[in-house]
Amino acid sequence: MELFYRLFEGMGIFAGWPTPLVQGLAMLTIAIVLVLGVAVAVLIFSLGERKVAGFMQSRYGPMYVGRWHGILQPIADGIKFLLKEDIAPAAADKPLWRAAPIVVFTGAFLAYAVLPFGPSFVGAKLDLGLFYAFAASSLVVIGIIMAGWGSNNKWSLYGAMRGAAQVVSYEIPLTLSVIPVIMAVGSLNMGVITRAQGGWIYHWHIFNPIFLVAFLLYFIASLAEISRIPFDLPESESELVAGYHTEYTGMKFAFFMLGEYAEMFAVAAIAVTVFLGGWYSGIPVIDRVIPAPLIFVGKSVVLVFVHMWLRWTLPRYRVDQLMSLCWKVLLPATLVLMLLYGLIKVVF
Amino acid sequence: MVKVANDIQKTLGSIAKGMGITIKYFFRKPVTQQFPNERWVLPERFRGFVHNDISRCTSCMLCAKACPVDCIYIEMEGKGKDRMMSRYAIDYNKCIWCSLCTESCPTNCITMSHDYDHAVYTRSRLVYEYVTEPVAPYKVPKTPKPAPAKPKAEQKPPAESATPGKPSAEDGPSKEAGPKDTAAGSEPPKPDDPPAPEEGNA
Repeated sequence: MELFYRLFEGMGIFAGWPTPLVQGLAMLTIAIVLVLGVAVAVLIFSLGERKVAGFMQSRYGPMYVGRWHGILQPIADGIKFLLKEDIAPAAADKPLWRAAPIVVFTGAFLAYAVLPFGPSFVGAKLDLGLFYAFAASSLVVIGIIMAGWGSNNKWSLYGAMRGAAQVVSYEIPLTLSVIPVIMAVGSLNMGVITRAQGGWIYHWHIFNPIFLVAFLLYFIASLAEISRIPFDLPESESELVAGYHTEYTGMKFAFFMLGEYAEMFAVAAIAVTVFLGGWYSGIPVIDRVIPAPLIFVGKSVVLVFVHMWLRWTLPRYRVDQLMSLCWKVLLPATLVLMLLYGLIKVVF
Repeated sequence: MVKVANDIQKTLGSIAKGMGITIKYFFRKPVTQQFPNERWVLPERFRGFVHNDISRCTSCMLCAKACPVDCIYIEMEGKGKDRMMSRYAIDYNKCIWCSLCTESCPTNCITMSHDYDHAVYTRSRLVYEYVTEPVAPYKVPKTPKPAPAKPKAEQKPPAESATPGKPSAEDGPSKEAGPKDTAAGSEPPKPDDPPAPEEGNA
């Protein structure tokens, strides 16, 4: 935000305007930039996902739209979503049902405010950044329950209930798994966490054995948090049709997809910030050549690719297995990790 | 504790193995064939849609008679020298691609082509009309036959070879010539015009 504020000041267009107004304009600008960025990223991810799926199954994926390897397929999809009839179930709880996609997308999008794309490319340099990001992304579960309940459909409700149980449960190991890093850095500010990993590549947190385990736990929990395979129980198409978004068509459905991919990128970006050196490339010389946002986005995209890669590798968990994994394995493991790192911190 | 460690190791190992397999496939060349742009090379004697070179048709009706499902319709007009063929149609709804019509054709005008993707919207469009306006049947020239017959002169009398009465004598050479013709003449032998949806022929 400071970037745009300083930019507006430097341009002198808003000279003499009250400061809160200019600050509000800067906020609005950065919000618009982020929404557009997320939209473009989702377009690319949706094509990327289909291409990755295709190549992992020895086929090409979309090939026709846009003449070259289906490059315009996401735009065609978007137009199709816009043109689809907007069907609402007669028995749906209309206000709840209509608000759900917005809540899901908003929840996924809120975390982008604190993602440190570069030293000065941050929406808001919150001191509680990491905490805020986790808190905001847990809003998604409210949207999921609203969608499931509002649809008045048993499959949707099953999906929503599963989603609620899963997302709320996995929030705990997700949040606890980053605590060792927070203990080491001493701050929840994402910029500070990134700066602690500057310089050569071995300063990244992932090269510390304890943080490596923490990263694995975080990654597993984040997969469950965003309901991706192997934890896509809320929308498991073979049992629940499409889970909580069964009854949605057209642009409402597109918003769920938008939220899903936006969340994918958000959890990947948080992992990059906390464990993988954020906007640092790991080699000081390169840092001066390549712009920081490019490095940050590049790393996040690699993690998103791993999400897609896992999707076409692993089968889906059963509900009880999912819960026992969370409460009996991940949660104790994160607590033990916290204890272990605390002891190390105290002793040495 | 040891069991848990073993389990974790086994799980991570098997996930890594699975991911190794999927990433191997990711970098492998897809096996997909981009159908309308790329096509299989068909076997030489592939039986595709029947190609009828109507200018060589003698309208002898042998193909219609040979057809086990009666899917070839030939209609004639007039008498004697004015006899004209007014209709030659093949109903691909019925055709079983048995190739018996091509074997019975004395002039090789009906052959199996390599054409197979003739999707249509209604069944009546699958009745292909080969004659737009009445044409005079092809008159087989009297003379040209002796040339191919010469090497096998002792085996069969060359005189009858061209007459429609003895198709079996013609069979051997015609079979070889037929498919090669179409293979060389690559272009799909489209019927001269998409047939007018004509009911009442079935």
